[in-house]
Amino acid sequence: MVEPTASARGIEKRFGATRALAGVDFDVLPGEVHALVGENGAGKSTLVRILGGMHRPDAGEIAVDGRPCHFNNPHDAIDAGIATIPQELRLVPALSVAENLTLGDPPVRRALGVAVLDHAAMRQQARRALAQLDFAPDPDLRIDRLSFAERQLVAIAKSLRKQCRILILDEPTAALEAREIERLFLVLVRMKSQGTAIIYVSHRLDEVVSLADRCTVLRDGKVAAAYERGSFAVGDLVRAMTGRAEAGISAEAVTPGATLLEDDPIRVRAHEVLGLAGLLGSGISGRLRRLFADPQAAIRDGIGMVPGERRLGLVMGLSVRDNILLPSLDRLSRSGVIDRAAGDRLVARLMEALDIRPRLAGLPVSALSGGNQQKVILAKWLARQVSVLLLDEPTQGVDIGAKVQIHALIREFSRNGGGALVASSDLAEITRLCDSVLAVRQGKVVERIDRDGGYDERRLHAAIGG
Amino acid sequence: MGNRFNLAGQIPLITLIALCVVTALLTPRFLSPLNLTNILVQSSIMAVIAIGMTFVIVGGGFDLSVGSTVALAGCVAAMVMVKFGIAAGVLAGIAAGAAVGLANGLIIAKLGVNPFITTLGTMVLVRGLVYLITAGAPVGDDGMPAAFIAFGSERLLGIHYLVWVPAILLVVLSFVMHMTPYGQRIYATGGNREAAYLSGVPVERIVASTYVWCGGLAGVAGVMLAARLQSGQPTAGEFYELTAIAAVVLGGASLHGGEGTLYKTIIGVFIMIVLGNSLNLLNVDSYWQRVAIGAVIIAAAAADRLRSRR
Repeated sequence: MVEPTASARGIEKRFGATRALAGVDFDVLPGEVHALVGENGAGKSTLVRILGGMHRPDAGEIAVDGRPCHFNNPHDAIDAGIATIPQELRLVPALSVAENLTLGDPPVRRALGVAVLDHAAMRQQARRALAQLDFAPDPDLRIDRLSFAERQLVAIAKSLRKQCRILILDEPTAALEAREIERLFLVLVRMKSQGTAIIYVSHRLDEVVSLADRCTVLRDGKVAAAYERGSFAVGDLVRAMTGRAEAGISAEAVTPGATLLEDDPIRVRAHEVLGLAGLLGSGISGRLRRLFADPQAAIRDGIGMVPGERRLGLVMGLSVRDNILLPSLDRLSRSGVIDRAAGDRLVARLMEALDIRPRLAGLPVSALSGGNQQKVILAKWLARQVSVLLLDEPTQGVDIGAKVQIHALIREFSRNGGGALVASSDLAEITRLCDSVLAVRQGKVVERIDRDGGYDERRLHAAIGG
Repeated sequence: MGNRFNLAGQIPLITLIALCVVTALLTPRFLSPLNLTNILVQSSIMAVIAIGMTFVIVGGGFDLSVGSTVALAGCVAAMVMVKFGIAAGVLAGIAAGAAVGLANGLIIAKLGVNPFITTLGTMVLVRGLVYLITAGAPVGDDGMPAAFIAFGSERLLGIHYLVWVPAILLVVLSFVMHMTPYGQRIYATGGNREAAYLSGVPVERIVASTYVWCGGLAGVAGVMLAARLQSGQPTAGEFYELTAIAAVVLGGASLHGGEGTLYKTIIGVFIMIVLGNSLNLLNVDSYWQRVAIGAVIIAAAAADRLRSRR
């Protein structure tokens, strides 16, 4: 039997009253990709933070190569050979590729008895580390000139230079395009073949199925299931994550009503969910934003926008209530004074209807999970009673349970006479949700596909050029 | 969550009470009616400035120019008053302050210049203007209207006129901040300008308006100070901006914007004024007083950092 490169036994962790991890066993072998999946709050972030030295467990043991380890900080974990590539890369924008790669312990030489940075060695070390990933940018280029995917490779190369043998990737593909994802996977397969142990945290279950050698599913701080390659499909993961089968949405046949918004060739009609499908970077988000270029005028015309990034949709420091009411303040006012009682009633009704949890209108919205935050953004526009909703990647980064609820809410909105325009690079989402789809390539609508015409993921995939 | 949260919210009040208790124990003169009245009157002018500063800071901005604006408003009010009477003088002083605020607001909100730099510039520029229009000499100290001087020194229902000003402003403007769409939009803009914009909030106008409040209220404070000094002093108001900002932050407002209340700002003002008063009563060297007040400002800013980290 192969000795695990890293193992965690009986890990427990509490945050105040919340039990994030309740006795979790997890290990990763040399040369394997071990995926970690679960809904938001299931404990995967806590587990990888403990492995990366960012949190200390309340109980349980971590061992690297069979030797017990105690990490007091991320440096201890790196010294033990565990590198974490977080979603928000920790690189210094104004420094070059080589400087970023060697940040922390740059090569030095002595000049006139003083230690100075050895730029030649720096470049050489950077090139060597990057070459292992088959990536050769100019080491003198400022890091902010690279794309996110390229910066991610630099971060991985940085861990290689530190001789890390365990690589933790937290949602590495969340901001990548299809082509970039393929490139990342090639890099991971290559690292695997060199014996690196990879822990892969992702919401994208299809990726997990195609990439992982093993997959552990966390639910409520415990291991809900563990699978070996070839023995599981997306449906198994969903069941294990949620404890229930994936609820499908029956997209009933609808007769679209009057045109609510027209910007050739986009035409959103009442009772219709129109999809805008394209790869990341294909310009679908930009297209949506142009329809909402003057928010005040658009809102007056009965249009609401659910932006692709939640931080653009919510004022995190304000309460759930104040966020929901923000676009409707003028309507809720009598002679310049907000009618609090009416506002409270509206908020209570929407929180109930959208199942926003916890049901505390006074809570800062930052305290809510991603899925519930996304529902608060929807509630803002339902409170305003808009007739058109523009939604940019409406379920990005939310867990499966919330995703199903959000899809149902969008369908209900259209059933009640609204028109929705959904921009998404998630073709499974588009196929489940939309009545018609506009396929977009390089900012241009190249094809319109109606449900009656029979579309499926494969046909869409071809249309958007993925 | 409940208890700790509430307690953290009351830290300014607890600090103020502790400061008063300690000073009262160290020197009985602290609680004398004369001294307490003195504290109220001293706080009144700073309170008016700090109320305006709270608008700006909640809106996500910053204003260093209020000290100079106080001097400008006082001198303009005195100059106009001597020729055209009290009402014209008071209005001119407040209008001068609001004009400085409008200039700050337009430069910051429309052109997108950093508020720190903009108001650092207007702070110096306005002070220069004050010296230019006054030739560096006090204005009107040879005969301000008697009724105006009375406003600066006499009482209504046993309370100084000067104290009534911030008391009324506190009630009215708290209502504006919490009960009107305008007030809610200031919080939203300061908390997350982009999200507020995408929710239909006219963020540029909101931001600009907070500076108009701040400048206009600094104008009111300048007029009050002129009444108290019975003249317009071109050197008046130096360092007032720092005391006002410190008071707002001591009151629990976040320098990142989106957080803060007028009532707590007033407590912050009392902390600053009582601290100065108690150091005076305890005969602490005035140089050391500066050291102490500087340390309090840094401590308040550090507390702001720690809060936002949590």
